[in-house]
Amino acid sequence: MKDKKSNLTRRSFLKATGAVAAGIQIGAVAGAGLAAGSDPSTLTGWQHLGDNTQFVDRSKLVLKGKPYTIVGETRRCEYVESPFGRNSYMMRNMMEQRREKMKRQEIEDDYVRDVAPEGGQRAEPSGPQKPSFPELNSFSGPLLDFYKKFPEIYELDKIRTESIMPKRSEDLKKYGDYYTLIDAWANAWGTSERITEPPEISDFKLGRRSIPDPLPFKSPKHASELLKKVTHHFGASMVGITKLNPDWCYNHSLRGSKNRGAYEKPEHWKYIIAFGVPHQWEQVQSNPNMGTSSDAYARSTIAARRLETYIKSLGYAARRHSPMDGYDLVAVPILVDAGLGQQGRHGVVVTPETGSNFRVAFVTTNLELEIDKPIDFGVNEFCTTCKICADICPSQSISHADTNEGMNTRGYNHWEINQTSCYNYWMQSMGAMGCRLCIIACPYSRKNNWLHALARKADTGDPTGLVNDGLTWMQEKFFDTPEAAEYLPPPDGRFATFRDPPEWLQVSKYLDMNPLDPTKGQ
Amino acid sequence: MFTTSMLLMLIIGLVTVPLVMGAVALTRDMKLNMNWWKWTLTGLWYFLLLFCIYLDFTFMGEGEIAAAWKLLLFEGVILLILGVGLVRILLSGRSAV
Repeated sequence: MKDKKSNLTRRSFLKATGAVAAGIQIGAVAGAGLAAGSDPSTLTGWQHLGDNTQFVDRSKLVLKGKPYTIVGETRRCEYVESPFGRNSYMMRNMMEQRREKMKRQEIEDDYVRDVAPEGGQRAEPSGPQKPSFPELNSFSGPLLDFYKKFPEIYELDKIRTESIMPKRSEDLKKYGDYYTLIDAWANAWGTSERITEPPEISDFKLGRRSIPDPLPFKSPKHASELLKKVTHHFGASMVGITKLNPDWCYNHSLRGSKNRGAYEKPEHWKYIIAFGVPHQWEQVQSNPNMGTSSDAYARSTIAARRLETYIKSLGYAARRHSPMDGYDLVAVPILVDAGLGQQGRHGVVVTPETGSNFRVAFVTTNLELEIDKPIDFGVNEFCTTCKICADICPSQSISHADTNEGMNTRGYNHWEINQTSCYNYWMQSMGAMGCRLCIIACPYSRKNNWLHALARKADTGDPTGLVNDGLTWMQEKFFDTPEAAEYLPPPDGRFATFRDPPEWLQVSKYLDMNPLDPTKGQ
Repeated sequence: MFTTSMLLMLIIGLVTVPLVMGAVALTRDMKLNMNWWKWTLTGLWYFLLLFCIYLDFTFMGEGEIAAAWKLLLFEGVILLILGVGLVRILLSGRSAV
């Protein structure tokens, strides 16, 4: 009897524990799902740009007392106290001295030309000169005052100039090759010049100087591997390489050319590195009236400037083509050639990673590279049945045709859109102008989380088209989206957005203003 | 964030032990005469339930609240039908009390 009672109790305990465990598990899975959907690291491909990069709650670390203890009379910092500040003063001093020297030289030259006997020559300095730090009294102004006040710093600066820096030059001659790639990398993060000269000149210049001698790569494969890695580090989410088809170059308006007339593709534009960066996902979903292209434009441009400088630092010609520096080429076919994606019904490229949500830049170069191949993950088939972008387009610029057969753009067959009516709608939109609705409405343009990764995987691996149909059906039936006309200006529409803008784009949340909200029909 | 941590995954794994023990105790109490294929079907149904919850809450996390609810309703009907079928199968093999 006692045993039976004990058994019953144990079993009841197990059942109760099991029920609690099931509850915990279901709750935990729900929490994990919520986190998977809202995790900012899924927003922008590889980049982690969400506010949870600052993950420490500083309110719990607030200092109780004062952060600084005052121990004397407080004052502002003098610029000469910093070594960099002294460098700048020193440069100014040296420039002044040089100008004076040049003046003296002109007087001497005049004397040699006008007074000295024929053949009179000035003595040339012989052998390399040892760098010497100027005498204390040759300085002037704040720098002289500072050195007089802190003679020990004068001595340290003198040692740096006369011993440390020459030793470094010697070391660089001996070991510099070992540090070639970090030099190129560091150069890349520096500034880049505006393109003001034709490719034959500007592509071979690094700043004001010519590019150095080309460094030998082990093979084109090694070169491609390295360039792809650094392009990702420079901010690109996806990178591909191809040979440049001359048909993809604009026929006129070459940047840096004087007459901007017709031109042949420059010989040294052998290869092209194509790369893309997605828009910030929350703002791009708020298109057409609460979105912008500027964020991804800027990021892809910065990546292009860095890559161009990097390639030039390795001794090869390079020219960037980017949203903020201009293009000498047409983007879409190059992206297709470079294997980044396929062209969709909406005329832009769809990638397997971020769908159409990305902006591109390119760098043309003569560095021998291993090229990528075009890819096929079923976009053509998907687009023939989907038509979501065509349905939602406020200007009806995207074709509803069942196939792109018969479409002909400069001799090439692919999906084409009415660019002019599309552009006319841009001019009607609010906010930062433009539209981008087709980019975000495309079912491929989804975040990089498990759910969409799984859908993409299932879709690309399904030869029957059932997953295609299923995803399109889900997109149409489950997701509430304004109708095409709602995106138009009032009175025909209400300046609708594809999704509600994130709170950081809502004026009423942060500004003490009460603007008219056209989306509510005011 | 705790909800994206490996610790949460560990907890989800750990609670599976008492959950299975409780399920075994329950089936014995109900004299369901479970065998390998009944456990497989039950496990699959439970996995589907967890998967649907994970899916719906991922949509909610993305801000697609309407889609999440519609999907939950859709999945709920399917899970209910499958659940009723599973219970009927399990009860059909029940021993006489």
